[in-house]
Amino acid sequence: MAATVGIVLVSHSAELAAGAAELAGQVGGGAVRVAAAGGTSDGRLGTSADKVAAAVRSAAAGGGGVVVLPDLGSSVLTVRSLLADGELADLGPVELADAPFVEGAVAAAVTAAAGGSLTDVLAAAREARHAGKL
Amino acid sequence: MPASSEATVTLTGDLHARPAGALSMAAARYAAEIVLVAGGREANAKSVLAVMQLGASSGQPVTVRAAGADAAAAVAAVTEALTAATKVGD
Repeated sequence: MAATVGIVLVSHSAELAAGAAELAGQVGGGAVRVAAAGGTSDGRLGTSADKVAAAVRSAAAGGGGVVVLPDLGSSVLTVRSLLADGELADLGPVELADAPFVEGAVAAAVTAAAGGSLTDVLAAAREARHAGKL
Repeated sequence: MPASSEATVTLTGDLHARPAGALSMAAARYAAEIVLVAGGREANAKSVLAVMQLGASSGQPVTVRAAGADAAAAVAAVTEALTAATKVGD
């Protein structure tokens, strides 16, 4: 089987990350790894570098690289810090996507499930910014 | 000139999130450019968000147009995905 791209959703809220991951995974027909990293390690609103690293490790198992979608604020800073420190370097290519959280996750999941490359999945997430709902 | 193909389906379900995802994944298997036309609007069948934005629902006709070497197979696959769409809530 060809390598598949994994997706990581980073949110301040564990419920938001988990819910968006469940939704994106289902729209992707269950054929894509979508890992959630939400909240702090003690269950508060915030972000945890350890949770993000664990989610990236899980999403990287498909072998095609990982696209990370942050919700906002410290989610972005935490992922950037992990990337800058090289703490995810052994997991293959990891890209941080500047994209709307829910729409980007769904578009990325469908593209990854259809066998898209890391570049395709990152582009799908970014292009979600320009998609209307109505 | 590349091959082109077209078919129209009257929906028995709605193009909500999961059917749209299934349709886009089916469309992505083909090299052809595939466009859905519904209610006077067009959407790239390979973009799940564009497919959802059509807001096409039960009873509405949707036309599938494809252009490219595998256009006929692409239209057949996307037509099948349209036929399989369920109603919201089902």
